Amino acid sequence: MAGLLSRLALVTTAALATAVAGCGERPSASSADSDKPITIGISLPLTGDFSQPGTQAKRGYEVWVNMVNAKGGILGRQVELKITDDASNQDTVVADYTRLITQDKVDLLLGTFSSLLNYPASAVAEKNGMLYVEPAGGAPRMFERGFKYLIYAQPATAPKQADVMLEWVKSLPADQRPKTAAYPTQDDPFTRPVIETLQAGLEALGVRTVYSTVYPPDATNFQTIASALAARKPDLVAQGAVFEDGVGLVRSLKQLGFSPKVLFQTSAPSNAGQYSDGVGAANTEGVFYTVSWNEKAKTPLNEDFVAAYGKAYNGETPAEDAADAFAAAQVLQAAVVAVGKIDQKALADWLHANAVETILGKLTWDETGAPQSQFLLAQWQGGKVEIVAPADRATTTTVIHPKPDWK
Amino acid sequence: MKWAAVPLAALVLYPVIRPFDTYQQTVLLLAFLLAVQAVSWNIISGYAGYVSLGHSAFLGLGSYTAGIVGVHTGLNPFLAAPLGGIVAVLGALVLGAVVLRTRGHAFVIITIALLLAMQVVATNWSSLTNGSNGITLELPFWSRDFQNVPFYYFFLLLMFATIGFSWAIRRTKFGTGLVAIREDEGKAAAIGVDTTRYKIVAFCCSTFFIGTAGAGYAYFLTFLNPVGAFGILGSVTIVLSALVGGRGTLWGPVIGAFLVQIASELATVYGGGSQSRVLLFGVALVLVVLFLPAGLLPAISARVRRKSTVEYTDQAGALASARVEVSVAAAAPGPILEVRGAAKRFGGLVAVDGADLTVQRGSITALIGPNGSGKTTLFNLVTGAMRADAGEIWFDGRRIDRLPPWTRGHLGLGRTFQVTRLFKSMTVLQNMVAPLPDGRWRTMLAGAVRGHEADRARELLGFVGLARFADQPAGSLSYGQQKLVELAQVLMMEPKLVLLDEPAGGVNPSLVGRICDIVRGLNEQGVTFLVVEHNIPMVLGLCDPVVVFSRGKPIAEGPPQAIRADPVVLDAYLGEEAIADALT
Amino acid sequence: MTQLAQAVALGVLIGGVYALLASGLTLIFGVMHVVNVAHGAFLVLVAMLTWWMWRHTGIDPIVASVVTTPLMFGLGWALYRGLVVRIRGSSASMSVLLTFGLALTVEGVLNVTAGNKFRSATPGYFEESYRIGGVSLPKPQLYGFLAAVAVLALLYVVLTRTWTGRAIRATAQNPDGAALVGVGATATASLAFAIGTATTGVGGSIMSVLYPFFPASHYDWISRLLGIIVLGGLGSLPGALVGALVLGLAETLTATYASLRWSTLVFYVVILGVLLVRKQGLFGARLREDVAA
Repeated sequence: MAGLLSRLALVTTAALATAVAGCGERPSASSADSDKPITIGISLPLTGDFSQPGTQAKRGYEVWVNMVNAKGGILGRQVELKITDDASNQDTVVADYTRLITQDKVDLLLGTFSSLLNYPASAVAEKNGMLYVEPAGGAPRMFERGFKYLIYAQPATAPKQADVMLEWVKSLPADQRPKTAAYPTQDDPFTRPVIETLQAGLEALGVRTVYSTVYPPDATNFQTIASALAARKPDLVAQGAVFEDGVGLVRSLKQLGFSPKVLFQTSAPSNAGQYSDGVGAANTEGVFYTVSWNEKAKTPLNEDFVAAYGKAYNGETPAEDAADAFAAAQVLQAAVVAVGKIDQKALADWLHANAVETILGKLTWDETGAPQSQFLLAQWQGGKVEIVAPADRATTTTVIHPKPDWK
Repeated sequence: MKWAAVPLAALVLYPVIRPFDTYQQTVLLLAFLLAVQAVSWNIISGYAGYVSLGHSAFLGLGSYTAGIVGVHTGLNPFLAAPLGGIVAVLGALVLGAVVLRTRGHAFVIITIALLLAMQVVATNWSSLTNGSNGITLELPFWSRDFQNVPFYYFFLLLMFATIGFSWAIRRTKFGTGLVAIREDEGKAAAIGVDTTRYKIVAFCCSTFFIGTAGAGYAYFLTFLNPVGAFGILGSVTIVLSALVGGRGTLWGPVIGAFLVQIASELATVYGGGSQSRVLLFGVALVLVVLFLPAGLLPAISARVRRKSTVEYTDQAGALASARVEVSVAAAAPGPILEVRGAAKRFGGLVAVDGADLTVQRGSITALIGPNGSGKTTLFNLVTGAMRADAGEIWFDGRRIDRLPPWTRGHLGLGRTFQVTRLFKSMTVLQNMVAPLPDGRWRTMLAGAVRGHEADRARELLGFVGLARFADQPAGSLSYGQQKLVELAQVLMMEPKLVLLDEPAGGVNPSLVGRICDIVRGLNEQGVTFLVVEHNIPMVLGLCDPVVVFSRGKPIAEGPPQAIRADPVVLDAYLGEEAIADALT
Repeated sequence: MTQLAQAVALGVLIGGVYALLASGLTLIFGVMHVVNVAHGAFLVLVAMLTWWMWRHTGIDPIVASVVTTPLMFGLGWALYRGLVVRIRGSSASMSVLLTFGLALTVEGVLNVTAGNKFRSATPGYFEESYRIGGVSLPKPQLYGFLAAVAVLALLYVVLTRTWTGRAIRATAQNPDGAALVGVGATATASLAFAIGTATTGVGGSIMSVLYPFFPASHYDWISRLLGIIVLGGLGSLPGALVGALVLGLAETLTATYASLRWSTLVFYVVILGVLLVRKQGLFGARLREDVAA
């Protein structure tokens, strides 16, 4: 028995050794072979809790790469995307980026969706000294780690997102302002700071909080929250939602027959078609949300982006997540073109010191990678999205207030 | 073990020879991590047979310990690793003390529930764990050139340590006790194994290295979150690894861990991403449970082992009148066993109905009665296999009805069973040395087969004519042979009172006589016997007094000849023909 | 006060549905002492099938159970004959591992074929409710409750009034005795497993309307169902009903007055508490094996 196992062990080890002998080599300095395409490694939640925004982000990246390659690529080389699915799972996203960096040896990286996933992924990139431009991931903690290679390609971080909503409430005459408010939010590192900042701001304005709760990410039944809201009847409801939960709460509110005067939701309403399908087109009327992008904005390349997206995907309007992904890729592209070569440190340094024009507008960053601009306040009106604040970016002066009842 | 030397040396040298194979090293270090978990799991679920489907919770505990400590004190996770192990052990201690009182499906369900509950707690106890924001650990302090090599060696070292630990456990009485618990927990308790203590200790042992590994794993991931740390798929992977390789063996879990990790990696890379992993594990688990429940290693070794030639009981040897010496401790006055008003019901059925029984020291008392009269239940009450609903049981001047079975065994109460209960996967000799004479920790940690004990075991085996079978698996013996081994096994405990449950059942007639001689010989040296038997001639020839049981309580007691003629007894038990016989 | 009434109403409605979902599981345990951990996965499978049917044919999801129930009956029968019967003699842990593997396989197949996304069937009445007093009774919940009660009543009638049902109960209580009077153990066990699985046909169809689900949702469901049958007593059908109502109310009340975050913990606490303190739950039978060592 021992003899047989001994022989087995020797043979197996020898076989494995031979197999391994062929692979792996000393990593050379990153001098690019100018005929090979530039590979960009990306992991996205194409399945799982975040599959909705994740799929949108993938589309955004793909529209970008097609546009770039049609114009000759970057630095004269075609660009190739290597996208894997992390299933909205943090362990998987770590493994994915590790593999992309160490095994597939991609030239560049682009980020994934949600702070939850970008947290660990950005750490992997930092560990390996690679630039990490992320289209999502605005949770404040992201930027408290002293990372040098992290860049967030949206106008502002989570706590600042609700500022523009707060401003709007402030701008209302006293008799039209909401007197009471409720704050249900998903237990998510991004949505919570947004709602918490909004709550603090509104409370300082004198709006009384009648209900506030945090629900787990996998919650699917919102009837109990809706019944609490229906019992307390707040004037304003601000929900920290991702997507499913945003749709779910609206449905439950409808079932229990309560419609607040002001409804603000993060993220969910930005999913255009899916959102209006989910809650019913008539019920979107008057819903507020903050958004980093608007399809009518006159920012560079925005029209081309919307057109290309519509052509590729059945005439649909892009979701915000697709636009954010496109913008992140634009940021990366700008840095590479400006620096002239693929040197991770040089790229990171350049981005910290310069501004980039994207379809979201002009983006700049501080030394932690946190962006310094402002979000837009959007509202669904007549089945379409309009920007209502800030004034210089608004697409309409009409603001629907109070929100009409459910249909 | 020597066959392992080459692959293990190769693993140790791999990063030295090929330092830049980061990807392969990562796959290997994850395999080491899985092996640590599988080998540890094997201690409670392979050796002791308590299948835990929530074991990855301890990895999570270790990870969170390192994370929380790191956040508050800045201590490097490698240094915090032993702390992770300690927290895991404490967790196991608390949980085990509560949870290991259940068995079978209850235990498995509880472990699943505990794992999922821990996830909920970790998510919601934000002040400690930072909730679903997770904990971010510092980046490794070494230069990027070293990549994952330090992690590789950390987990490799842990794997060696865990394997060594598992090997050491197997060699002690603790290890055999665990296997005994797996095979037959009630029997283990009857031969003096403190099953509660053993299970809790095994549970704790199965968590230390996992907790330590958890700390390293947190460092490797750089990021912790409740869903990832307490996910059920991790537990399933552990179970699958150990099952595939061979549950209950030393190297099985290691081999299984490597197979599963590599297969999982291949599935992710070639098989369509992480989604296919669930399908792969599900199918693998189903196939393994159905077709390879013992695992690969035992299946391979079963093929390799040569069939042994059939050996017959050394009948001549058994019939030779060799004497075996036993020593019985000095006796206190009074009856050795007193049962007062014992009662036991099972739902509506009353098995033992206020029975009183006294066994005099130095006697061979018989307990006879029709089937279903409650004799075996009474035995169970006396030895502690069941709890009496009412009544008192006094043994050797002490009240024992509240004591656990193993303590009663340590006090000198031994028993054989109606249907023999040997530990089938152990050898006859291992069965013989399995009984524990006392409840001390030192005994538990001593080597399984000690010289003096082994000699005594062989002596007793020779006494029953089975010395040649010492190294056969007990399960390969015939029924009659097993009965004799069980009798010899009981004697290893130097009992004062032995309860024999149908000792002559299934044994050929000449051996029945031999058994009677053995019993008499032991009785002369001071061992008391209480015998349940249906073989009336044997009983009438061997025992005095004879107690007759019917419907849960004794109806008659007296010397054999009196009982033989007692009409009440004849009517209840022996039937009309016997009455007719008696009268002729 | 209205909030309490609302919470109670919701709790009772969902409790009824839970009772149906749990009935099959407890039946299977009662007859063959197998904890079918795959029960939750079957529910999700049916939900997926129902959603697909609703999407492509517009058939009302709850009505679709007319199709899914016999389908699941057949699947249950086949699975028992093909897989479960082989481990009949083995230890309890092995049956848990086998059914767990089955659950993962179903989840994996759904992942691969349908994709890991949230789905929800939303027929016309989906967002509507009946108002009674100040309390809203959402239509999906109400219809689900009614369907569940109807099926439970049917199950009860089958088990107590038909020969088949008596055969099943006999085998549950004493397989050898049942065999002696002509009730084949394998046939009865297959039937019980098939009936138990068939209940997921109705249950899963109802579920597809009530909650968005995705392939990994089965963990949530099996945790709830285990909690219910453990509380009610493994193997007891009335126990499943009582346990379901109790836990449905407990979950809703916890979610309403404490937080949604802690409401799932309720089930785990129940599992742990009951199995440790009173293993047979409220109505279960104490098995002789539990008593003897």
